[in-house]
Amino acid sequence: MEYMPEFRTARPATMAEAVAIKAAEPGARFLAGGTDLVPNIRRGIVAPPTVIDLAGIAEMRGIEPLAGGLRIGAAVTLAELAAHERVRTAYGGLAQAAGGVAANTHREVATVGGNLCLDTRCVFYNQSEWWRRANDYCLKSKGEVCHVAPKGDHCFAAFSGDLAPALLVIGAEVEIIAPKGSRVVPLGAIYQDDGIDYLLLEADEMIAAVRLPALAEGFRTGYAKSHVRSAIDFPLAGVAVGLRREGKAIAELRIALTGTNSMPLAIEGTEGLTGGPPDEAMLEGLDALIGRQIQPMSSTFSPPGYRRRVVAKLTRSMIRALYLGG
Amino acid sequence: MIMAKSILSLVLNNRRRDHAVADNMLLIDYLREVCGLTGTKMGCDGGECGACTVLVDDRPRLSCISLAHSVAGRRVETIEGALSDGRMSRLQRGFHEKLGSQCGYCTPGQIMAAEGLLRRNPNPDDDEIRQGLSGNICRCTGYVKIIESVRSAIEEAAP
Amino acid sequence: MSEQSVAHPRASAIGAHVPLIDGIEKVTGRADYTADLDHHDALVGRIFRSPHSHARIVRLDVEKALALPGVIAIVTGEDCDVPFGVLPIAQNEYPMARDKVRYRGEPVAAVAAMDEAAAEAALALIDLEVEELPAYYHPDKARAPGAVDLHGDRPGNLERGVHHEFGDVAAGFEAADLVREGIFDCGEVTHVQMEPDASLAEYDAERDRLILHTCTQVPYYVHLHAAQCLGMDTSRIRVVKPHVGGGFGHRSETLNFEIITCILARAARAKVRMKLSREETFLTHRGRPNTRIKVKIGMTKDGRMTACACETIQAGGAYGGYGIVTILYSGALLNAIYDIPAVKFDGYRVYTNTPPCGAMRGHGTVNVRYAFESLLDEMAGELGLDPFEIRRRNLLKAPMETINGLRVESYGLPQCLDWVEQASAWAERRADLPKGKGLGLACSHYVSGAAKPVHWTGEPHAVVNLKLDFDGGVTVMTGAADIGQGSDTVLAQLVGEVLQLEIERVSVIANDSRITPKDNGSYSSRVTFMVGNAAIEAAEKLRGVLCAAAGRKLDAKPEDIECLGEIYRVRGGQDPGLSFKEVVEEALAHEGTITVKGTFTVPRSHQGGRYRGAGVGPSMAYSYAAVAAQVDVDSDTGLVTVEKIWVAHDCGFALNRLACEGQVQGAVWMGLGQALSEEIRYFKGLPLAPNMLDYRVPTIVESPHIEVELIESIDPNGPFGAKEASEGALAAVIPAVANAVTDAIGLRLHETPITPDRVITALVRSARDGRRDKPELGNTG
Repeated sequence: MEYMPEFRTARPATMAEAVAIKAAEPGARFLAGGTDLVPNIRRGIVAPPTVIDLAGIAEMRGIEPLAGGLRIGAAVTLAELAAHERVRTAYGGLAQAAGGVAANTHREVATVGGNLCLDTRCVFYNQSEWWRRANDYCLKSKGEVCHVAPKGDHCFAAFSGDLAPALLVIGAEVEIIAPKGSRVVPLGAIYQDDGIDYLLLEADEMIAAVRLPALAEGFRTGYAKSHVRSAIDFPLAGVAVGLRREGKAIAELRIALTGTNSMPLAIEGTEGLTGGPPDEAMLEGLDALIGRQIQPMSSTFSPPGYRRRVVAKLTRSMIRALYLGG
Repeated sequence: MIMAKSILSLVLNNRRRDHAVADNMLLIDYLREVCGLTGTKMGCDGGECGACTVLVDDRPRLSCISLAHSVAGRRVETIEGALSDGRMSRLQRGFHEKLGSQCGYCTPGQIMAAEGLLRRNPNPDDDEIRQGLSGNICRCTGYVKIIESVRSAIEEAAP
Repeated sequence: MSEQSVAHPRASAIGAHVPLIDGIEKVTGRADYTADLDHHDALVGRIFRSPHSHARIVRLDVEKALALPGVIAIVTGEDCDVPFGVLPIAQNEYPMARDKVRYRGEPVAAVAAMDEAAAEAALALIDLEVEELPAYYHPDKARAPGAVDLHGDRPGNLERGVHHEFGDVAAGFEAADLVREGIFDCGEVTHVQMEPDASLAEYDAERDRLILHTCTQVPYYVHLHAAQCLGMDTSRIRVVKPHVGGGFGHRSETLNFEIITCILARAARAKVRMKLSREETFLTHRGRPNTRIKVKIGMTKDGRMTACACETIQAGGAYGGYGIVTILYSGALLNAIYDIPAVKFDGYRVYTNTPPCGAMRGHGTVNVRYAFESLLDEMAGELGLDPFEIRRRNLLKAPMETINGLRVESYGLPQCLDWVEQASAWAERRADLPKGKGLGLACSHYVSGAAKPVHWTGEPHAVVNLKLDFDGGVTVMTGAADIGQGSDTVLAQLVGEVLQLEIERVSVIANDSRITPKDNGSYSSRVTFMVGNAAIEAAEKLRGVLCAAAGRKLDAKPEDIECLGEIYRVRGGQDPGLSFKEVVEEALAHEGTITVKGTFTVPRSHQGGRYRGAGVGPSMAYSYAAVAAQVDVDSDTGLVTVEKIWVAHDCGFALNRLACEGQVQGAVWMGLGQALSEEIRYFKGLPLAPNMLDYRVPTIVESPHIEVELIESIDPNGPFGAKEASEGALAAVIPAVANAVTDAIGLRLHETPITPDRVITALVRSARDGRRDKPELGNTG
């Protein structure tokens, strides 16, 4: 039998029950598809005394129309999301992002909420207990030193979820539920650029759903990522772009990235790039804008310089493609 | 410490099963160690190779990163359940006759993933076959004959 | 009836597409691999591994761990002071470290416990105190003056230096019109066979006997080393190989965990199951070493090679293993593919504080072939010669003997080139490819069994026993290890062919040391050739027995009896003849249960020259392959996608077309992994990707179609002309892809794998150098 550390499983039937359990036991972990949490438990990276299995909560599972947009339950699987007709037609970038996560078998169980809360990743962290112990652990777990930046006191584990950038460019909001009540915030508000505390959720909070707004007529989205293999891999870096064109000019532009920082990064200042076509001057401005805001580090198998460069290239290509049509 | 166990009830390969199972038990361990169904294989440290793929309510599932209790009340199928009337399924025959299986270790997972694909999409093209088996690593075949095996099964089903 | 059997060729005849005889077990989940065997009464075995790269062991305290409830036994280096290793001349590895640890992950102790949780808890209580020593992860550091010697007997940590020169190399370069040199770096790769390592050992304390089930390619070597390390007589040990989930060389030597499981079972006086995790399987390693190759080729302006000089440095890891053989192959197989009149090789196998390297598919030749074929393409370009043309101008003429004493009896490389050129529509396709796409070609070869066994005993190189009894079934008994390549099937086919029987009448019993004859194992692609020839000899003897029996019944001389499988009759006669059953009854009545033996030995004439190191490289037959690859290079991401592969492999004769195609496709595809995505890198001796996520074995999605042609050169010594089919094509794939990438982007990368970041780095550097060059050109012009 494979060694699994001991834990107790709670199986709530409602979201209210789930967050009540979490409130009583802050060290507990929510379990949805398990594609992130279970390997981490198997490797001894996390050892929650209690696992709160969300599979029995029906109210987390649907995709429904909401104010011209959609409300997507946090337990909707990536396979369901990628196949959803309305998502495919109206939110192309999101469908691309969901359909490109890992492999089909993972997408069958991996959920929207799980992908948004995906633990940050690092070659010094996603290793077995033996490995991490031999390396004196690391800042993110049990250790004193960050092996990526040994002189600093900051963890640079990279956020690698595919959905978040695609949701950021369409201005999605998240519904957060807690025993004290629920709140709705812009998706970007739940993240900060810290490899350890990357999520700004309270210990008793849980993502209940994601709200997609109605998009302006002509606002097109896309998602592209760099990878070595065409399945199973996490993105080396991923780019989501939302763009609306008026005549020859880009009227609206939003860009968000994954794999470059410890949070999904919505690029600030893109409005300064609008008002004209994506000519070379605009694209050079874009490179500079992105270059200033991203901070890829040696936390993944692919070097930071590469990720820096590929993000710029992918963004350029995506902007051109969305500008030209489809 | 002996873990507290609770009853897991499911339909496994068309038979109803009830077992006392600990909360932390993985589905693959339940299948292999409790039920003795060793056709399902462990190949990696967590969802990276697909050798442990089984079907849960007709959909492929990585049993090495699923808790056993997550299939409570569900219909689970493993490679041992693929036989019908003692004979190989069309996919099993395809993998045997077209050499989609060399060492055989990834084969149960490949066949279950392919079975899941064909139930959703009875007539996939090669790209759809690739997508349907995208989480299943094979180290022997280079996949060429795996694709031919699945195609052969599809043709067997065609009138 | 006999007419009918002639009209309908046997489905399992040689040359046909024959599914594996154990395929049904595999597709139904009934095939038992080591971890599937009955273990309900087995203890759980776990290994405590060194967290240090290089250190002297000061104290190892297992008392606290041993005191834990549920812990039955703990063993350490104290429990075995006998080293083992696949080469009798280089045994320097203990099952568990004794005085020193030499790599992170090296076994130091092992626990047998009632369950996983107790074993896990015990590991956490083992206390290892050490005095750290300087550690070396790169050969340059390990060879530097003043470096601490890992083993105390190899100054400069040089496990083996090889310096061979055949022909007059200086004169060859002198005679050349074009001399070029290139340096190439190959990342370390490993097998990632799908089945993680596992052993099940059962010790019978009453009888002092041990039964080991283990996932090996070499049950005989494991048997020898288990006896050696446990100090037990070999007759008290039984080694059984169940179904094995791939090997690719990982299991072609005895591995530490196998011996540890035995030691643990004896200490616990019980049955112990040891299942390694995927990470531990990576740490057990024995893969292809990180290699730096400097290769220099001289040629005339019409593209004829005049000389080659090659220097190869391998980071071998912490122990000997197959290391000496690997470095010798790297030099020896510069020969026997092209006609090169003078070849010099300087090889350095260096100890480093990393998991030991070993044999991996295409053992020793792969990285050198990548360097050679890359430089060859460069030079063809300079001379304005097509990649096919330059290779055609340097072909061998078989039969011949190479300057280093290798005998080439059959040589299908010209036909391989012809087919690949036509099938790929090379010239038209190359001319039509758009920007960002490229075509590349390369060739390679491999041995069909090493002519000299590493354990030289004087015995035949292969033995097969056949049994025929009252049930009318022919049982093939062999020690050859089927690890998924289909060797059991090919042996059944060969026996069936000689006896003209369908393989339904033939069963194979393999790999139980109590029952089956000794076999050296599945490595160096020796089984089809050597064991196949032994099987043919055995079957011919059995046919002789049956023809004699038929002759007695039919009142004819045995040599006049025609064997039609299910019918034996007098050749040219009108008599309908006897059924197989009648003939068997007569034979049994004469002598009882029939057992016959066939053997095979490589004659001295094919065992190589008489210089030091001459024993590695010789084989009775060499396979040949040509590979063309079409790639696409994404200029945004640097991602190289292989769109199509054409491969022609000269396997002598395809005994089983289905299996040969499968082997060639598998070899090609494994080469693609090394070419594009697979790489082991270390951080202070810890592998950064000891898992199947970051060690990127290609998935089905990006794996291309591989079109295979089997070229049949009919080797005079092979079983029905057959040669190896599972290794030879691998080495050509990497340079074919590299050459295609160069064709696509106009510049050459000198390292593998060709990952997106390396492509982008090369493109950026080239653009930068181009910008810097331009004004200079302007100034001088």
